[in-house]
Amino acid sequence: FSWSSLGLAFHRTHLISSLLCLESIILSIYIALSIWPIKNQTSATLMQILILAFSACEASAGLAILIASTQTHVSDHLRNLNLLQC
Amino acid sequence: FILMLSLALGTMITITSNHWVTAWAGLEINTLAIIPLISKSHHPRAIEAATKYFLTQATASALMLFSSMTNAWSSGQWDITQLTNPPSCLLLTAAIAIKLGLTPFHFWFPEVLQGSSLTTALLLSTAMKLPPTTILLLTSHSLNPTLLSTMAIMSIALGGWMGLNQTQTRKILAFSSISHLGWMTIIITYNPKLTLLTFYLYSLMTTSIFLSMNSTNTLKLSTLMTSWTKAPMLNTTLMLTLLSLAGLPPLTGFLPKWLIIQELTKQEMTTTATIISMLSLLGLFFYLRLTYCSTITLPPNSSNKMKQWSIKKPVNTLTPTL
Repeated sequence: FSWSSLGLAFHRTHLISSLLCLESIILSIYIALSIWPIKNQTSATLMQILILAFSACEASAGLAILIASTQTHVSDHLRNLNLLQC
Repeated sequence: FILMLSLALGTMITITSNHWVTAWAGLEINTLAIIPLISKSHHPRAIEAATKYFLTQATASALMLFSSMTNAWSSGQWDITQLTNPPSCLLLTAAIAIKLGLTPFHFWFPEVLQGSSLTTALLLSTAMKLPPTTILLLTSHSLNPTLLSTMAIMSIALGGWMGLNQTQTRKILAFSSISHLGWMTIIITYNPKLTLLTFYLYSLMTTSIFLSMNSTNTLKLSTLMTSWTKAPMLNTTLMLTLLSLAGLPPLTGFLPKWLIIQELTKQEMTTTATIISMLSLLGLFFYLRLTYCSTITLPPNSSNKMKQWSIKKPVNTLTPTL
């Protein structure tokens, strides 16, 4: 988890890499949550499915935003996102 | 229209939740519903605002999920009101601070407000602040008071200072909302009802300001100066609501500040109270500048023709008289 969050914090260019890091954060949370009921003999499967569904929605929304930003700005480099500065 | 409905649904889900996953789900629904609202006009600025908003809110949601998971690991339960693990409390405050726009993590907020249209900016700054504040309220007895109060003082300071050199009205309102959020979080560990009161009054005042700006379509300070030709009554009520937002005594905006300062002095934090009241002077400066520009000055070439507007605004005459 911490590697993914560090990768998200330090993305230099290419918005795609930040989206990948977001997905890996959620995936690490999911794996950790799947391991936990096996250790403690409880069951938390509804939670897992809900988390998976919402994270899939988030990922698709992120991809849609990526496509929109490459349509309006020329590429997806992070240098180009400076239209809204003070 | 479905987007507004899903926004309301997400907010309701988060408010009425006692399990972390439902709170997280409601927050994600809110984020997903607002993203198309921000990027409705295919202007590059709007798309850029949508990307920044999405990235920050998604990381905050993931952080919140992670903090609840570590809490569940150490204590074995997923109830919201029982947070026993100190590192997970820290992570949770950081995640909610990112979502609200408090000071170490406020950098997305002015740019996102600038890039969205006035009504979506209104939604962003009032309705989207409601679920994270309810989560803060639910967990306020187990959070770290020193961390919260330092973040609040810094956000009041930053909201005042960075708003001084702005000419775009949406950015000015962004900084005012940052400082008001600071006022809200400074009292949350001592008296959560005051936080709610501040939030309600702040959202009422900001909605009236946004709606009046929407009807006269003022995006810059220079546009504000000529707005008295369009609807003179609206201009005077705008001035009154701006001064109320600043917190001047005869108007309603003074009430939360007074109660918060009283509560802080009861808790023996008088230095904090003096510091935040000094820092709200900075905000007062640009509120005064806004009122000065909108009502008192005359533009060089005064044109007294009446342009048409399209949105009704009887709500604005009521709110300053509250």
